Order: sequence, then structure tokens, then C-alpha cells
Amino acid sequence: MSDIDEFEEARDDLEALLTEVLGTVAGEEAVPVWDEGLPPGPIVSAKLGIHDEVDDSFTMIHVRTSAIVARVLASRMLTTADPGPDDLLDAIGELGNIVGGNVKSLLRHSCRLSLPSAEMAEHEDAHVSPEGVTVRAAVLGQVVELTLDVPDDVAGLYWPGGVSGALEPQS
Amino acid sequence: MKILVTDDSKAMRMIVVRTLRQAGFAGHDVIEAENGREALEVAGRESIDLILSDWNMPEMTGIEFLRALRASGSSTPFCFVTSEGSDEMREQATAAGAVGLIAKPFTAEAFAAALSTVVSA
Repeated sequence: MSDIDEFEEARDDLEALLTEVLGTVAGEEAVPVWDEGLPPGPIVSAKLGIHDEVDDSFTMIHVRTSAIVARVLASRMLTTADPGPDDLLDAIGELGNIVGGNVKSLLRHSCRLSLPSAEMAEHEDAHVSPEGVTVRAAVLGQVVELTLDVPDDVAGLYWPGGVSGALEPQS
Repeated sequence: MKILVTDDSKAMRMIVVRTLRQAGFAGHDVIEAENGREALEVAGRESIDLILSDWNMPEMTGIEFLRALRASGSSTPFCFVTSEGSDEMREQATAAGAVGLIAKPFTAEAFAAALSTVVSA
């Protein structure tokens, strides 16, 4: 079975995982959605990698949502009425971290999870979902996407401990 | 009590502090650190009664922090608050001397259950 087939087989679990994490973090009801995409406007995203040392393979996790959701989450997480751009990245980065940790526990429990890397993008390409298996949930009337894929390139991932950006063996 | 909260996310540190209050553990002094190395320095110069720490952090991970802390002779109660809650990680945490592991996303009830024996309300 390929990695993508494995992710596809776990689709229901991934959907439940995203919905539960999102609902808890937002403090609002979150529901799975199937036929809605990200709205127009800036997209805030977090990506993380999971490294399997046995076969040196990687799984990439992408969590993406609108700047509107990012702003509400940052406001609630940081208890501030006016979160700044760095706060939005911190909030979505942490959402990605929680989702990534739960994905690791579900599918890759003996592997190593990277730190989250978050960014905001306004260009049209930002609305195109990454290749791979994508599940979606809605909270606050807006969509949050989770995509798992097998990356060609793992540059730009940051790993816990040690020197930032360097991939080191897990102790 | 003096509680050291260690997480590289400012948002998560604030959530942990807020959840401590919601779990009934209000009124304690809280010190924050952004990674294990910074937390180890704080623990070396302050009298800390409880450490709540993330696992995956830059500079020094939570498990590296805990091992360094125990190697220094400190027996300060240490609980992980981390996004990874597998049995393997719980075993690693216990073996290194942690009193518990709270998996994210968490609730105030999870905090109360994990910390009731080490934190006074």
C-alpha cells in the first residue's frame, strides 16, 4: 500500500481528528465539510513534516485556513482583541502542531515530528490545495483544511532541539 | 507555588496558564520560558515547584530538558503538555521522571486530573 493509499484509508479518522482539534482549540462547534473550499482573501497555513527514520521517508502535513479564522483563533488563544500578524502565525502554527501531533499518534507514532512553519499568503496560488489527501472542517462558518502528502522536497522544515533547520537523529 | 510553563508558542503558554486557572489552580506565580534551554536556566536560578513543558521545541526539547534537570539533581515535579500522546512517549516521559503527560488538545478536567496530586488548589 502506498502512503497516499494509507492516508486515503484513514480519511475518516483524519476528518474526525481535524474536527475535534478545531472544535477544542476554537471553543466552538466544528463540523466536517465536503463541498466547500477556502474563501477568497489571505490564507494562513502551517506545515510540518514527519520523518520515519526506518526508511528515511517523510510525510508532510499542511493546515490551511483563511486569515479571518486565524485572527479569531489568535484573538481567543492570546486573549487579545487585536492580534498582530505574528500572533496569527503563532496561532495557526500551534493549531498545525496539535493536528500534526495527533496525526503522528494516529499514523506514524514511532517517527519524528518537526516544528511547525507558518506563513500568510495572498496570491491566488495559495487557494490551491496541496496534492495529497485533504479533509476539511468548518468552524465559525469558515473552512479549515488538512492535507497529508508525500513531499519531494523537505527543505524549510525545522526540527526540535539541536540546530534549527538541521535534521538530527532522535534521541 | 511557583510554576514554570515552557512552550515555544506564546499562544499555547497563555492557554496553559488560563487552563490552570480553569482547573482550579489559580493564584500561583507563573514563569514562562520559550524552550528547554531557557527553562533549564530558569529552573537553575529560581525555586520552582512545578514544571509544565511542551515536548517539541527548538534549542532543547522537553525530554532533553527533563533529563538535564534530573541529572542536575532536581526532583521538581515535571509534566509534559504536548501534542503527541502515544504510549511510547508516555513511557519515555515516565522513564525520564515526569509525573504525567497531558495531550493537546486538552481540557481543564485533564489538567485537574493530571495535576491534582502536585498542585494545591
